[in-house]
Amino acid sequence: MANTSEYALSLEGIDLYYGYVRALNNINLNVAPGECVALLGDNGAGKSTLLKVISGAHKPSHGTIKVHGKAVEFHNPKDSANAGIEMVYQDLALVDAQDTATNLLLGKEILRKGILGMLGFVDRKAMREEAKREVAQLGVKIDTLTRPVEMLSGGQRQGVALARSAVRVAKKAQGILLLDEPTAALGYEQKVMVEQMIKRMSANNIAVVLVTHDLPLAFSTADRMVVLNRSRKVADIATKDTTNDQIVGWITGARDSMENM
Amino acid sequence: MRKPDSLSLLLFVRSWGIVILFALLWGAFSIWGFPIFGTFVNFSVILQGAAISTIFAAAIAMGVFSGVLDLSVPGTAALSSVLLAKCLLSGVPMWLSFVVAIAAAVVVGLFNSFFTLRGINPLAVTIGTLSITTGAAALITTGPPLYGFTPMDWLATNLYFGLPAMFYVALVIYIIGTVFLTQTRGGGRFMAAGGNAEALRRSGVNANLYKVLGFVLSAGLAGVAGIVTTAYTTQGNPAAATDSLFTGLTAVALSGISLAGGRGSLPKVMVGALVIAEITSILNIKNIQPFWGIVITGALLIGALYLEMTIQKQVSKRVVEAKNAERQASHLAETAAINIQKEAK
Repeated sequence: MANTSEYALSLEGIDLYYGYVRALNNINLNVAPGECVALLGDNGAGKSTLLKVISGAHKPSHGTIKVHGKAVEFHNPKDSANAGIEMVYQDLALVDAQDTATNLLLGKEILRKGILGMLGFVDRKAMREEAKREVAQLGVKIDTLTRPVEMLSGGQRQGVALARSAVRVAKKAQGILLLDEPTAALGYEQKVMVEQMIKRMSANNIAVVLVTHDLPLAFSTADRMVVLNRSRKVADIATKDTTNDQIVGWITGARDSMENM
Repeated sequence: MRKPDSLSLLLFVRSWGIVILFALLWGAFSIWGFPIFGTFVNFSVILQGAAISTIFAAAIAMGVFSGVLDLSVPGTAALSSVLLAKCLLSGVPMWLSFVVAIAAAVVVGLFNSFFTLRGINPLAVTIGTLSITTGAAALITTGPPLYGFTPMDWLATNLYFGLPAMFYVALVIYIIGTVFLTQTRGGGRFMAAGGNAEALRRSGVNANLYKVLGFVLSAGLAGVAGIVTTAYTTQGNPAAATDSLFTGLTAVALSGISLAGGRGSLPKVMVGALVIAEITSILNIKNIQPFWGIVITGALLIGALYLEMTIQKQVSKRVVEAKNAERQASHLAETAAINIQKEAK
């Protein structure tokens, strides 16, 4: 087994109890920089819970989280963000009344130069240009950056939310991106867009953990598949070594757990 | 499917309806109230009458933009008013008296935000504060209004370039406020905190700070309204002017926003306040009972919110229709892509 410091993210023996319920049972997971791991499983298998542990929303009962080989402890989402982990939530958390540029650059607005900048005046033109550049880099199609995001279609809104996290994660050296059902409620064209965005993130050496029900998406983007079933990891296999039927078998529990993961 | 034109018409009405209403009323009243209404002197009188309610409207608007309806505004104004009068009567320098009046208002804003951020319903908190501040103001004066201090006409009725001083106070507030909200980083985050505080939080910004700012700005502007009222009426009156709450809220509603927070424009709120002043003026000129003004204000408040809701529903409906069309189109594209793949195999 490779040295753990080569991994962007590694989880060792993660347990999580909700009262008497064991929501996560001794989960080990490694994600290398530039690798996309699909986290699959039926509803209630524990995949969203695991994502919340990584993003700092839940604290594990036992186990260690390592980021680039260094053990970390997250008390809230901000801690994990500081460690270079960005999460795209299913509820997109956009400011509806404001435009794409403002939403993309929320919290890191570009100020004007000179005295006006010191007074906190923003440079709208520079922000629009920066947003345009970032959006183009990710290959997102958005008609106009000046329209309030409430007027955008579902796919474009998803694109804005993804782009916001993606840009933040791309700025950090060797970031980690967590995606929670990024294609739920998207049309075909929009799905293709998200797919390409994920591939581009991996190509930029970003580690991606993708929680999804969308098996075609997982097969087209992920390097590795990890399947959870009733809070245990039952499969951890390179995408090229498995098939759709095998994965479905693990998800439903029809297939026995892999050995020596 | 309906013509997309009707959607842009709805959006146009929402954006510019208040300005159109102001212009239409101005035209109609100029004819009805001929020859008095359309004159510059009457314009100046309207501005004087509108000045204080305009400042109150700014106080309410700042609260609404940040996502709360601050009902304590009239009480805060009354407290500032009597503190100013008390200070002036005790021989405190005028500038220091102003500072005391504003500082007291800011403390009220901090008090409101403290309890709201701890999870108490802001309506309940601010009603409580309305009661506390009104009571405190009456305790300071021991009941009746305070008067007999140096007149402050320079801040109230004195005319500069033909317009009353108190209107300039409102104008300065609206200009600074608009620049803050539309041009600065703080203003953008302030609006974002009202619209979706969670988005702001996830972006690593302290959203609560901006919630506090909403209460403080609302209370601070209420303090300014209290000061101008004191200058205009030449007395420190402990009775809270609750009608200012109604006109202020109506002006905000007339500006074309729901009271949900996160959106709005100060210049439109000002036009909203001026519409109410127009109506008051024509009632005066035509010698109609002023109580009609109060009735009309209430009707305008409900009418404006109802219109806004109807427009919002229509807009959402259209956007959903467009999204469904998009999804249907992409479903077709998906089927086509799969068919092509099958054929290729």
